Amino acid sequence: MAQEKQEWGTRLGVILAVSGSAVGLGNFLRFPGNAAQNGGGAFMIPYFIALLLVGFPICWAEWTMGKHGGQRGFHSAPAIFGIWGKGSTARLLGTLAVLLPLGVYFYYTMIESWCLNYAWQYASGAMSVVKEAATVPEQVAVSAELFDAATGSAANGLGDVKTPAVTFWLITFAINIFFVFRGLSKGIETFCRYAMPAMLVCAVLVLIRVLTLGTPDPSAPEQSVAAGLNFMWNPKFEALLDFETWLAASGQIFFSLSVGFGIIINYASYMRKKDDVVLSGLTGAATNEFAEVALGGMITLTASVVFLGVAATIANTGGTFSTGFTALPVVFARMPAGRLFGTLWFFMLFLAAITSSLSMLQPAKAFFQEALGLTHRAATGLVAVLALGGNVFVLWFSEGLTALDTIDFWIGTFLIFIVAMVQIICFAWIFGIDKGLALAHDGASIRVPRIFRFIMKYVSPTFLLVIFIGFCIDSVPDKVRAVIGDEAAVEVAWNEAASPAWTAEVRSRIDAEDSEVPAEVIGLLETPAEGEAPELPNVFANSWDGILEWAQEVPGWSAGSGAPLTTSPKPIAPDTMAIYAWIVILTTLALLLAVAVVGQRRWRAQGLDIDGRLPAEEA
Amino acid sequence: MTVEAMLLMTLSVSSVTVLAIWCYYKVFTTD
Repeated sequence: MAQEKQEWGTRLGVILAVSGSAVGLGNFLRFPGNAAQNGGGAFMIPYFIALLLVGFPICWAEWTMGKHGGQRGFHSAPAIFGIWGKGSTARLLGTLAVLLPLGVYFYYTMIESWCLNYAWQYASGAMSVVKEAATVPEQVAVSAELFDAATGSAANGLGDVKTPAVTFWLITFAINIFFVFRGLSKGIETFCRYAMPAMLVCAVLVLIRVLTLGTPDPSAPEQSVAAGLNFMWNPKFEALLDFETWLAASGQIFFSLSVGFGIIINYASYMRKKDDVVLSGLTGAATNEFAEVALGGMITLTASVVFLGVAATIANTGGTFSTGFTALPVVFARMPAGRLFGTLWFFMLFLAAITSSLSMLQPAKAFFQEALGLTHRAATGLVAVLALGGNVFVLWFSEGLTALDTIDFWIGTFLIFIVAMVQIICFAWIFGIDKGLALAHDGASIRVPRIFRFIMKYVSPTFLLVIFIGFCIDSVPDKVRAVIGDEAAVEVAWNEAASPAWTAEVRSRIDAEDSEVPAEVIGLLETPAEGEAPELPNVFANSWDGILEWAQEVPGWSAGSGAPLTTSPKPIAPDTMAIYAWIVILTTLALLLAVAVVGQRRWRAQGLDIDGRLPAEEA
Repeated sequence: MTVEAMLLMTLSVSSVTVLAIWCYYKVFTTD
């Protein structure tokens, strides 16, 4: 292959680049909320089990696949998948591993630019408007307005109101393209070598600040650091019996480590033959876990409970965006030296985000270079055009952030399962687990423990499949309805006033912890205990026939008008933004598949062993 | 803060910290 040869400058450089790719907003914003809602400290049990059974195995497989692909002269996921999967099917599936980081980049740069925008607003003093509001709810309202202004989520288009959003996006976009253009070692590696330690320092400074807050308001002794840590870590072991807890923990591990993302496989392909992948992979994963558990798990919710209290924390930290951009500005408004720590925090999030986004363009760039025979400059230009198109789409169709959410779900979540599954099957079954592990150990500083031969071959794929099926049942139907609509959808409500006797009977059964009361009924009637998020039912995802049947058997049920349970038609119309997002996804995929077909012909014409038939030395 | 919360927090945080320190120690000493 007539390409400029690229490789990593140092071993630490590649580890920091991979760690930078893995450590992102999810570590600091998604993890704590996820843990608190799914068993608190008990969440860590399925979390660590998933780390051992899925996280480390797929991580090692991906590093090994990448490095071996690089030894054969390939750096793109389709080409490397073709070698490990021994054929065209795996090669075409490999295009998903290019679509994934590129598609995530379409919206991730937006979030990154919000972080930069917030860091600037803190540094310049503009965020003082949150402080000027009197009460927590008023401050939350001001903070939410600022978020809408910063993201332009109130309306589509690029009106005046979006000037800050566009400005900070342009800065972020330019920084990303600049470092990708500078190349692997001079660009990405150099940036991560400074950005990762800087991010760590910022996070540790904020952590020290949070842990030394004590009880800042003597009139509210329940709002202390100890109470904040307790909110996050107090175990609810009964949550371990709930499949959702396992699903959430496995999903957190999976998305956080960036395995199955198409990035590690590309990064590892630039390693030298005698470079280690086992220790490097483990170190990258350990860095991510440290950032997630030791920093993310101690800072975010602790600070929120100290200044907002448990109830407001539950109300405002449900999602990644609400935690990071609505609740935390209120926390910093109430924290001594909040302006300084707000600046540090959002700059830290910006660094965490940019070290991730930098990695997202490299796989597509490498793919265009080797499939189309483009130069580094031309491939960077083509990637920049695609990235620009995706970014402008998300920036323009920003109303309610629906386009962003749609791409995030289908590419940034759903597709990761598919790519990871293809990877582990190629590694452990098609290529062969023994040959795969032998390649992993070539130049390795430590050995993969023997038990992982069994885990990688049998446990990881099974575990992954079970999580994927659970995820599909749990989350996919609603997302499909958002795109295609649902004429038959109904809204269910409890009419408590119509039948007080029935309601009282059900409430008493809930109080008595009667396990036969459907969770959906509890969700609509029970007031959540302090420290617990309300469990609202998903009325569209469940069969209500059985629930109605149960309700009618409870004394006090009145079957006629004024029944306790009422259903009314509430058709869901297809969501235009979601449809547009799908058009973008499918168009990008079609383009990548076309490039893969061209690349395949080109590689065959060059006489390259693209199906991995020959040993690496002869290929 | 409950004892269980303290225990789980300490175990979780210390295990990831020790793993990270061990990994970087090995990286720097076997490079």
